[in-house]
Amino acid sequence: MLVLASLPLFVAVKIAQLQVMPSEEHGAEFLQTQGDARAIRTETIPGHRGLITDRNGQPLAVSTPVTTLIANPKRVNEQAQVDDLAKLAKALNISLVQLQSRLERYRNKSFMYLARQLPSIEADRILDLRIPGVFGRQEYKRFYPAGEVTAQLVGFTDINDAGQEGMELAYNAILAGEPGAKKVVKDLAGRVIKDISLVKPANHGSTLRLSIDLRVQYAAYRALKASVQRHQAKSGSVIVLDVHTGEVLAMANQPSFNPNDRSNLRVDSVRNRSVIDMMEPGSTAKPFTILAALESGKFKPETIIDTSPGYLKVAYKTFIDPRDYGDLDLIGILNKSSQVGTTKLALALNPDNTRELFERMGFGEGIGSGFPGETAGNLPAYRKWDPVTQATYAFGYGFSASPLQLARAYSILANDGLRREVSMTAIDEYQDESVRVINADIVKTVRQMLETAASDQGTGRRALIDGYSVGGKTGTARKLKATGGYDENRHMSLFAGLSPINNPRLVTVVVIDEPNEDTYAGGLVAAPVFSEVTGSALRLLQVTPDAMSAERNIVSLPTTLAKRGGL
Amino acid sequence: MNMTLPLNFSGSERSSWRIDSLLLLAVLALMSLGLTMVASASFSYAEHNFNNELYFVKRHAIYIFIALAAMGVTFFTPPSVWSQYSRLWMLLATLLLIIVLIPGIGREVNGSRRWLSIAGLTLQVSELAKVATVVFMASYFANNREGFGDNWRDWAKPLCVLMLPLILLLMEPDFGSLVVLSCTFMAMLFLTGIKLWHYFGLVFAGSSVLAIFAEAAPYRMARLSSFLDPWSDQFNSGYQLTQSLIAFGRGEWFGVGLGQSVQKMLYLPEAHTDFVFAIFAEEFGFIGVLCLLGLYVLLVWRIFSLSKKAVAQEYWYGVFVLIGFGCLISGQTLINLGVNAGFLPTKGLTLPFVSYGGSSLMVTCAMVGMMLRIGHELHPDTQVVRRARRGR
Repeated sequence: MLVLASLPLFVAVKIAQLQVMPSEEHGAEFLQTQGDARAIRTETIPGHRGLITDRNGQPLAVSTPVTTLIANPKRVNEQAQVDDLAKLAKALNISLVQLQSRLERYRNKSFMYLARQLPSIEADRILDLRIPGVFGRQEYKRFYPAGEVTAQLVGFTDINDAGQEGMELAYNAILAGEPGAKKVVKDLAGRVIKDISLVKPANHGSTLRLSIDLRVQYAAYRALKASVQRHQAKSGSVIVLDVHTGEVLAMANQPSFNPNDRSNLRVDSVRNRSVIDMMEPGSTAKPFTILAALESGKFKPETIIDTSPGYLKVAYKTFIDPRDYGDLDLIGILNKSSQVGTTKLALALNPDNTRELFERMGFGEGIGSGFPGETAGNLPAYRKWDPVTQATYAFGYGFSASPLQLARAYSILANDGLRREVSMTAIDEYQDESVRVINADIVKTVRQMLETAASDQGTGRRALIDGYSVGGKTGTARKLKATGGYDENRHMSLFAGLSPINNPRLVTVVVIDEPNEDTYAGGLVAAPVFSEVTGSALRLLQVTPDAMSAERNIVSLPTTLAKRGGL
Repeated sequence: MNMTLPLNFSGSERSSWRIDSLLLLAVLALMSLGLTMVASASFSYAEHNFNNELYFVKRHAIYIFIALAAMGVTFFTPPSVWSQYSRLWMLLATLLLIIVLIPGIGREVNGSRRWLSIAGLTLQVSELAKVATVVFMASYFANNREGFGDNWRDWAKPLCVLMLPLILLLMEPDFGSLVVLSCTFMAMLFLTGIKLWHYFGLVFAGSSVLAIFAEAAPYRMARLSSFLDPWSDQFNSGYQLTQSLIAFGRGEWFGVGLGQSVQKMLYLPEAHTDFVFAIFAEEFGFIGVLCLLGLYVLLVWRIFSLSKKAVAQEYWYGVFVLIGFGCLISGQTLINLGVNAGFLPTKGLTLPFVSYGGSSLMVTCAMVGMMLRIGHELHPDTQVVRRARRGR
């Protein structure tokens, strides 16, 4: 009887050792530590990537929650039935054999991806099959609402949410979210039973507000795409710059791509040509040669230069005008884009001084935007200027710049000689850090000349905008041959201009690369794009029209006349 | 101590049923606790494996009804029916034990062939065999009480009969039932008045057999002794036990609260069957454990005090049945608690009245019914009737 009575007592003591007796080697404290080691896990809280918006807050890159399906191949192989796998394979849209071979390949691992970044609804459907060893993990995937319109500028991230291209890469540090951590109790199937404590809160990435105005961007992209298609061009870029602050209001490129589905991505279309590509600015550089001429004091706007007989032989090269323009003043040279006149100007100037002015205009100097692959262009200096180089320099050959650099240089013309750096991110409070690089009066004079150049008298008449005065310069640059020298048949059609002329607000640069051979002149290809884009932008920005009464009939202009412009 | 049921089936002879209410109360309390714990411990497992949280709870509730019905049947069946046909019950139980070993009929789970599928319900045959053996032995000892133990053949004969189910249990294998049944037999044999040196000789012989058995198969010994240090192989042979111990450790004094167990979240295998006690200890703490132990102590105390009453009335069949059943229930409880708390090797024994499982519940309730009936027979009011019948 006593033995019987002692048995429950013995049991009670044994259990007390496990539960309540302190200082027991394998007592409650030890057991709880062991239990916690098995059940308490540190869970990461995903920190989503910051938003990229345009200057008005329109989203350009958004992180959307998605579910990644992961599996523990060991558990799947051990516990899942064949019909489970068949169901899983069907839901994943792969064959059972494929799924099995993948599971086989990772059979010694305890982690593998089944499908990454599925829409959560779709993933939940698969998770509801309750296949042992299959789990879901919340992640974020980038979605680009503006798609191809802002594709190269905004860039994209890789599947691990790290910036790969464009602003996504340039500003990765501030955009990237930092995952947090929390302690949770999980059941053996890996499901969270309860939260215990927050170890570290997730840091969501900061919002990046770009300088572009999505409305202007759309207008630019639409006009550019239409033009590139119409002229069967290889590529093209448009930049719209707010000259008051140096902010880029639009930066569109063709060809483009859909950043939301990069399965058929052509490497060629990813490049943000506006910032990365170098080109010879061609005749669009002539206004700067005129600036140099005026600054030298040797020339005045009304100085007459004899361009007869329409050609000029310098050393081994002959420069030819389309026809004999006879006596031209500087305005005339710019209007007619006369090679002979420009050459004569250039030869009369000190080439080092000309180059130095180009340098002040920002050629050969980087933008400093931090954009991956940004080019600083190339502005060579020669110890001994050969007269031909001296002449070609003057009309935009022999050095190169990105379209954005060209736009920056034109913004100096727009700002009466003040140079402002351009910004690709929105500026909240603008602080004027502009630097005077050239005399304001000279700039104003050249601006007047640009207005004429973009009028009925010049090559850029198709750049005219209803309601606004326009100044600008066309350019039709021959492209370099791979074998050296210039190609007769491959051109780059350019237009750089500003509007309105007296109080400029916008600078727009249009580059159309290799339009088809029939129509390639800057005045025909690039100028209409300038007109359309700048016109839309001015109206969107509610800039007061300054040329309401202008009567223009662009359509009726004989195309032959326009064709002659260029170079 | 006794309660009167307002039932009168045979009309003339008995005016009422005398029921040991404390015994019944302990059983009912344990069964309600069992339903609660099965519900708490099985939710996660059922949800994960059957996609239905109530999978086990519903079944357990049905088992409880069946078990209560079985209790009723055995209560209203006169004890003489069991004792008179005890050889038949023994034969049937042995047959079932043989049938369950036939591949294709007996169902194998975790390497043991213990279950028979009958009409969708599974029956653990060893549970029935234990009861039948106790009834048979009780009947045999009671009938041969006069001068029992004078000759060694007196106890050798029932021992031979016992060997048959023991060997069959060994073949399943079901060591737990084997141990419980052997101990129960020894306890009953002790009460027959067997010569002490015979008795201890027998104990010695049994222990020697066990020792040789262990020696012959060291791997079995190793598996048996792995409970001594589960932490040395905690992700393999020690896994279940360490998870069970962790459940105890979490409980401390007052437990983590009903439904709050972490270990039942798939960590502890068989949380609602053999290891339901560990989950109970986690959720209700040491205080809860003491209460549960108290209920079992109350149950066993009632059984033994009934047997004392039976001795006083020289109702020997009743004495042996009560002692036998008391040993079966308390032995099984003790082993289950021991396994859960890690001081006995792992055995597939359920916790009587509490664990999920139809066979165990049904059979234990049937035993309770038989014991309550014997309690009724022992009541002074009914003694006269019994004596009269025995005299017939």
